Parts: sequence; C-alpha cells; structure tokens
Amino acid sequence: MSEKKVIIDVGDGAAIPRPEDKGLLSAWWLSFVGTLAVLAYLLIFHPDPYLRLLKFLPDGIVVTFQVTIASICLALILGLLAGLGRISRNRIVNLVASTYVEIIRGIPLLVQLFYIYFALGRIVRVPDMVAAIIALGFCYGAYMGEVFRAGIMSIDNGQTEASLSLGFNRSQTMRYVILPQAWRTILPPVGNEFIALLKDTSLVSIIAVSDILRRGREFASESFLYFETYTLIAIIYLLITLILSKFLSNVEQRLSHYERR
Amino acid sequence: MKKLVMMLLLIAIMVNNAWAQKEIVFAVDATWPPMEFVDAGKNIIGYSIEYMKAAGEAADFKPVFKNVAWDGIFAGLATGKYDAICSSVSITDERKKNMDFSAPYFKVRQALIVPKKSQAKSLADLKGQKVGGQIGTTGYFAIKAADGIEAKSYDEVGLAIEDLNVGRLAAVVCDDPVAANYALNQYKDTLKIAAIIETGTVESYGIAVRKGNQETLDLVNKGIAAVIASGKDKELQQKWIGQ
Repeated sequence: MSEKKVIIDVGDGAAIPRPEDKGLLSAWWLSFVGTLAVLAYLLIFHPDPYLRLLKFLPDGIVVTFQVTIASICLALILGLLAGLGRISRNRIVNLVASTYVEIIRGIPLLVQLFYIYFALGRIVRVPDMVAAIIALGFCYGAYMGEVFRAGIMSIDNGQTEASLSLGFNRSQTMRYVILPQAWRTILPPVGNEFIALLKDTSLVSIIAVSDILRRGREFASESFLYFETYTLIAIIYLLITLILSKFLSNVEQRLSHYERR
Repeated sequence: MKKLVMMLLLIAIMVNNAWAQKEIVFAVDATWPPMEFVDAGKNIIGYSIEYMKAAGEAADFKPVFKNVAWDGIFAGLATGKYDAICSSVSITDERKKNMDFSAPYFKVRQALIVPKKSQAKSLADLKGQKVGGQIGTTGYFAIKAADGIEAKSYDEVGLAIEDLNVGRLAAVVCDDPVAANYALNQYKDTLKIAAIIETGTVESYGIAVRKGNQETLDLVNKGIAAVIASGKDKELQQKWIGQ
C-alpha cells in the first residue's frame, strides 16, 4: 500500500468550470451551446406550445430569482456566524453554532419547508415567500457554516500568530488577516452551494410559491402537455445554472490573481 | 306471551320476504363524507344513503347497503356480489363501457369556502385577494378564470384549506361534497361555505349496475325521478351540504 493521500473532491452543485478549461470543446461549452440550440429549435419549429409556455413562465422565473437571492444573503450571514461560532473558543457560542448545524443538516429541506409553512403556520403566520426564504436560508446557512469553518481553518496558524504578535486582537486578526485570505478558498464551494440552492428553490413550489416549477405544473395540469412543459423547465434551469457557473468561474479566476506567479 | 310475539315477528318477516318489495343491495364505500360515511354508531349514513332510501319508498324497493372498499368495488359488481353501486361514482364514458348507469342523482358543483367572518358571497367580492384550489381541478380553473384574483395552486386540497384556516388565503374553491366535509366537520368553527359557483363542466354521480340488469336500473331510475319530482333532493342537499 502506498502512503499517497488521495483527495476526492465531490460537490453536490453543478461543476464550476475550471479556469483553464478555455477551449471550445469543454463540457461547459458543449452543454451551453447544445441547450441553446435545442431551445432555439423548439421555439422556431414548434412555437406552439413552446412559445406559449415561455410567455407563461416569466413571473415564475422572477420568483425563483427573488427566493434564491434573498435566501443566499440570509445563508451567507448565518453561514459566517455558524462558521465563526464553531471555531470560537467560547464554549456556549461553540455549542449553539454546532447544535444549529447538526439539527438543520439532519432534516431534509422539504420537511423543513413543510414544517415552517404548515406546522408553524398554526402559531405564526409567515407569508409563503418569507417561509421559503427562511427555510432555504437556514438550511444552506448550516451547509455554508461548514464551508466557512473549513476555509478559515485552512489558513496557516502562523498568520494568526504573526498578527497577534503585531498587536492585533483576535477579532481584528479575523477581520483583516484571516477572512480576506480565507475568502479565496471559500468562494468555490460557496459558489457550488449557490447553484445547489438555486436548484433547490424548485422545492418551494410545494408550499404554493409560484416559482418556475409551480407555474409549469399549472400549465401542464391544464393543457396535459407534460412532455413539453417539463422539457422547457429543465432547459430553463439548465441555462440558468450554466450561466451562473461560468460567472462564478470567472470571479474565482479574478480572486486567484495573487496566487499565480 | 314471548313466544307468541316471536312467532308473529317471524311470520311478519316471512310474509314480508314473500310478497313485498324487491330488495336491491347497494355497495357503498362509506369513507366519503358527507355523501356516504359511517357515523359513531357504525351506521352507514349520508346524502346518497338517504337519497336511495327515499327513492326506494317512491319506487317500492328496499335498499340494503353493504360497506365495500373502493378498490374492487367494480369487480364485485361484475361478479354479482351486489346489485348496484351507490358510492359517489362519477358517470364517465369509460365506465359506461363496462356498466350501466342510472340517471344522475347528484351534480358536483364548485363551492366557495371562506372564513366564518368573511362577507364575500362570490368570487367577484374577492378581487385583489388570494384564492386557493387544488392544481388541475375544476375549482382551480374557476379561480384562474375569474378576474382580478390571485390564484394559488396546491398539491392537495387539504393544504389549501389549512392555509385558509390560518388566514393566508381569502377563500378556497373545490367540489361541494369535499367543501361540505371540511366546512361542516373538521373546520366547522372557523370556515363556512359562502356560495356555489357555476362552471362550464358538469360532473354527475350515478348509480352503477351490472351491464344489462334492466330490472334494477328501471327501479332505481323510477325512484330517482320521483325524488327529483318531489323536491326531496333539494332538501337533502340543504341537510348534508348546506347549500
């Protein structure tokens, strides 16, 4: 047995294209151009029902984006707090943050959605959009807490020691020395979570939020065009995630500017 | 003395059997309030049950109800375990190929359910508010077709009712037997049926009999016609559905 350490890097989100994948024959380009071609073909040669469908969906797309952006903001804040909490030396803060992560990660998102909307609905009347944002934000906050923790811990301890010896206190060290460096490590997995969250917003259609999927289901249940409807919905989700992953890949490349020699 | 009474009773039963009315055995899946269900005393009761009893009086047959589970209810009819099915069976062309149907005894309508204190009497009173329904149902299509209402679709009608109950919706539209079940039973303290909405599609319940069983079919049809003629059906609707 060799002593070589193998690192398996698997994410649950869409694969973010690596910056060096520049060629026209990369997986990203193939998927992107292929999807666009299929979409164009369907719209040009079968305008009915695809064009009709496309006109039916836009408010759903807007809702999906609203939910995604609001919950990613909430998740980033909660994730940072949870990540800092889990490496905190204060026992109580540490325990609270760890418990939050343990509980949320152990409950399926779909169940959390039902719980916040229908179970807690008996006690507090949360509007549907707010319930969706809270459920997604809290769920992904817990996932991101782990990412933040790993990112912060990846920074060499020498950095902390150096900064403390220069007279920074612990919070200044975190703010000015550790986090700016950790951000670069954290960004790719956070981007993955971002895309995964966008896809998971399709679950909110269960609590009657009119997102892309719910709008599509309404269309299909009336017209019985199940094949056409779900084909178009899959294409729309795929296009959005492909564009997002390319965008994140570019941001990542910018941030890694200082690492290149 | 006791013996005498027993004897008389026995004779009465025998005589009854010999002459009297023809007995029709109806299969009922008694899990569908308020149309047909089982009360606390395990008696099968409901709108359809009372309807058939009234029909029996008018057309001189004796309805007997037999509780049968829904899946297999049609197979039992084909093999002759009972004469007819009285269990909120919608009349469809598909089913007409395999069995004969009586005249419709109930037309499914769409009911508007609102909170107890709501003043709304129709969908038009709910402009600018959220109204829910089950996805893909006649009720939901009626909401969507209405002007100026925000339509919300749910996977199950129960979820929409729950949302109405906690106050996130102004109203729910669904089939009236279902509506009556919620508004008159589970949620009777908070919800009520405000109105019945007219929609284009008509769905009716009929009594199903084995194909070619003309004798039973004629009796049942005669009874249904008599019940409708006497206005008893309206009375039953008022009693079991409230509208």
